[in-house]
Amino acid sequence: MTDQLPNLGREAEMLSAMNLNSIDELFADVPLEVRYKGELPLPEPQSEEELLRDAKRLLGANRPLSESISFLGAGLYRNYVPALVGQLIRRGEFLTAYTPYQPEVSQGMLQAMWEFQTLTSELCGLPVANMSLYDGSTAAAEALTCAVRVHNRKATQKDVVYVSELISPAKRSVIFNYTQGGGIEVRTLKHTSDGLLDLSSLSLAKGACGVYVEQPNPLGLLDGGLTQIKQIIGENTALIVGVQPTSLGVVEAPGNYGADIVVGEGQVFGTPMTAGGPLYGIFTCTEKYLRQMPGRIVGRTIDNKGAEAYCLTLSTREQHIRRHRATSNICTNETLIALMGAMHMSLLGPDGLNRLALRNMASCQLTKQKIAELTSVAIPHIHGHHYNEFVVELPGSAADCLSYLDTKGIIGGFDLSGWYPERKNWLLITATDQNTSAEVELLVAHLAAWSSAKIQGLSA
Amino acid sequence: MSHLFDSHGAAGSGWSQPEPLLPESRISLPANLIRRKMPQWPRISESEVVRHFTWLSTRNFGIDTGFYPLGSCTMKHNPRVNETIADISGIAEIHPMQPEHHIQGMMAIFSEMQKMLSICAGMDEVTLQPVAGAQGEFAAMRCIQEYHRANGDEMRDKVIVPDSAHGTNPASAVMAGYQIVEIPSGPGGFLDLEVLRSVVGDDTAAMMITNPNTLGIFEPEITEAAEIVHAAGGQMYYDGANFNAILGKANPGLMGFDAVHYNLHKTFAQPHGGGGPGSGPIGVKSHLAEFLPGPIVKRRPLVEGDITEASDEWWFSWYEPKNSIGKVHQWHGNAGAVIRSWAFYRRYGRTLKQMSEHAVLNSNYLRHRIHQLASEAGIGSMIVDGSSAKFVKHEFTLSLSPLKEATGISALDIAKGLLDQGYMAPTIYFPLVVPECMMVEPTETESIETLDKFAENFVKVLQESPEVLHAAPVSTPVGRVDEVHAARNLTLRHPME
Repeated sequence: MTDQLPNLGREAEMLSAMNLNSIDELFADVPLEVRYKGELPLPEPQSEEELLRDAKRLLGANRPLSESISFLGAGLYRNYVPALVGQLIRRGEFLTAYTPYQPEVSQGMLQAMWEFQTLTSELCGLPVANMSLYDGSTAAAEALTCAVRVHNRKATQKDVVYVSELISPAKRSVIFNYTQGGGIEVRTLKHTSDGLLDLSSLSLAKGACGVYVEQPNPLGLLDGGLTQIKQIIGENTALIVGVQPTSLGVVEAPGNYGADIVVGEGQVFGTPMTAGGPLYGIFTCTEKYLRQMPGRIVGRTIDNKGAEAYCLTLSTREQHIRRHRATSNICTNETLIALMGAMHMSLLGPDGLNRLALRNMASCQLTKQKIAELTSVAIPHIHGHHYNEFVVELPGSAADCLSYLDTKGIIGGFDLSGWYPERKNWLLITATDQNTSAEVELLVAHLAAWSSAKIQGLSA
Repeated sequence: MSHLFDSHGAAGSGWSQPEPLLPESRISLPANLIRRKMPQWPRISESEVVRHFTWLSTRNFGIDTGFYPLGSCTMKHNPRVNETIADISGIAEIHPMQPEHHIQGMMAIFSEMQKMLSICAGMDEVTLQPVAGAQGEFAAMRCIQEYHRANGDEMRDKVIVPDSAHGTNPASAVMAGYQIVEIPSGPGGFLDLEVLRSVVGDDTAAMMITNPNTLGIFEPEITEAAEIVHAAGGQMYYDGANFNAILGKANPGLMGFDAVHYNLHKTFAQPHGGGGPGSGPIGVKSHLAEFLPGPIVKRRPLVEGDITEASDEWWFSWYEPKNSIGKVHQWHGNAGAVIRSWAFYRRYGRTLKQMSEHAVLNSNYLRHRIHQLASEAGIGSMIVDGSSAKFVKHEFTLSLSPLKEATGISALDIAKGLLDQGYMAPTIYFPLVVPECMMVEPTETESIETLDKFAENFVKVLQESPEVLHAAPVSTPVGRVDEVHAARNLTLRHPME
């Protein structure tokens, strides 16, 4: 018997008040042929204690990164979430509220989201931000459809957008699903052999509705060339930059080099990886895109006595008002996770952000320097500037190398053949602020052992 | 009034961190990418951050604060052990790209959830990837689209949606590339089969509908509707927003639905979090399974050499449906929400239908009590049911049109009056087919005493004077908020000097 129903055992009392004899009378309008027959073939109900025991057993069988030596990233990064975030977010007033449709009793969440908008707006260097989208991939996809809505009328390449060829297949797939319905064609932008965007290919994008690139790019490279894109594509094509948000503690905000829309995977601020969700997508833009942007927005206003207050605004873009003419179908979003991000950002402040970015860069660059000393592996983009991750070219397959490292208790990185099938020997190694020097030494030692053995095996 | 951006402490963070592994002088960055001006984030101490957000929380209403009868949103109690479970490092600190043998326990839970959800809705296959109900709708529309394309039925470009549908239905179908055919509800708020027959054809891709519908009433002719759509070659889509009414009682698969979404944040108690996160898995009949977004968890019996502590019987692996539409989320969806919902369902197990029985019992009881008390107070005629149905399901609608005509008091005024009584207001002005609508959904986790008290206070508010109600609320952190002012004087972030 479940313990979740306060009126269990009191059904008769309630039914008699309605002159009824059984609950089934309330379901009399459900035709017999569509009723669920018999009992659900599910396990016995559990008490909290029994449930927790099962959960600990099952989840205890997993191998969390916090208890591993890990160099896995590829778009989602191991981070440290300050203790206050996990505790404050469990305030029931936040946790158990819903969308603040009644602003008078939702000022706390509304103001917090207005502050979140301010924090992300400052971070990305753009004046407008929304309350969050589902994740970095849907934020990128919705930025592209938003760009088409804004620019299509004047575009000479109507319904065309350009996306960097390095973008992961998962993100590319999300972008395809979000754009195909509107008849939008997604073309690709080439990168040169040094891993940077081929600026000479960008003139192709002139007259299109938008361009989507990432900084750092999916190979971990910071690309100074992105600062020139806006001059090439011009006012009538949106420059959309996807960022790793912590990097903006050292790297210039794209809003300051011409980006019209900046999006990113917010996870690094405020929430652990959680097997890939819930995360939150950051979405910021210039005022030009405001009325075509997706998602909820909070505005500051006044109450009937003139006192400061906050409420949702510009709702006429949204599905509950505009229905099939809405800018997006998004309704439930990731507010609570964005709030976790706001708490983390508030605690960091600008100096903490700078330190966090330096730690991420330092971990990555130290790892790269150490691996560069090995003669048995190569670093294809050795002269590039890396944030969080870089590519190592191995003398054998990345899959083989990862299996070997796994036997040594190391999660060695991401096998890039999963993204670029022809790159069987490319390993994407990620180091974040959470990696230690000792871990780096261990990775390098085992990588040296595996790769030397591989080379000897090849030459033998 | 506390503002995050009022404090500008000294340089240096209140938040200390370890040293970087390399000195700053040895970190390289392209010269033209060095950030010139840092974001103007606050410089405040941990104690100030804690106090600021704690203060904000005191200005917010949640289920934990009081009764939250927000129709269509299923604001039920969120069991706290689910939060404890979601914090276990075996889910919180998992990277989605870890090899399968690192995450057998999580995959076991995914597998169990896929199976449970399939059973409950009479579907053959489930993907947990969509992260919200609207995204589930969108993903399912894409699957249906690819199904039609695979059958050479590209000309099917219309999706039929009743005028009482949630706004996400038409918005999601349009995002997938469909045109919308909106059909008016018939008498009593029911689906009108004659109208349906007149709009279906060889351009029909699908019909999207929720059952019980947004008036809270079960569509008695749902199987006939499905037959009409199927006969025209279309697919039937079940919007699971109202699944809390019928789980274990009625079976969408038997009603003729080909695809459904589930709102784990409604039916399965993933906390709503002030607007999200949610989770919107979709289930489909076998003919649509090959189009689902992947990966999906499959299991096989253990063989020699498998080492797992997650199961004595099964090995779990990821599987990509052969003609998958691809992805709607970068990773595997909102795994954290899936784990919480798994914990929720385990509390009920095979007795899960009691949840729906009590949701419907509470809803009908509250509706009865409101009418009874209103009649006793002599104002029974001021509120009329949105539907003529004798019984409702998990929610009910009331039209306050007679009250508005008699007194000038609107549904909005009543909503604000209820805030003063310490309640979250019901959903108002939805569905659009009921004038001056209030949509009330008490859920199964409210006691008789709470329902009685709410009915009493609701009727009390109905009797308040127009002057009092136009000025309401007065006991909330701020008075009635000027939403027009917000839209005309857009201030979307804190202005900096």
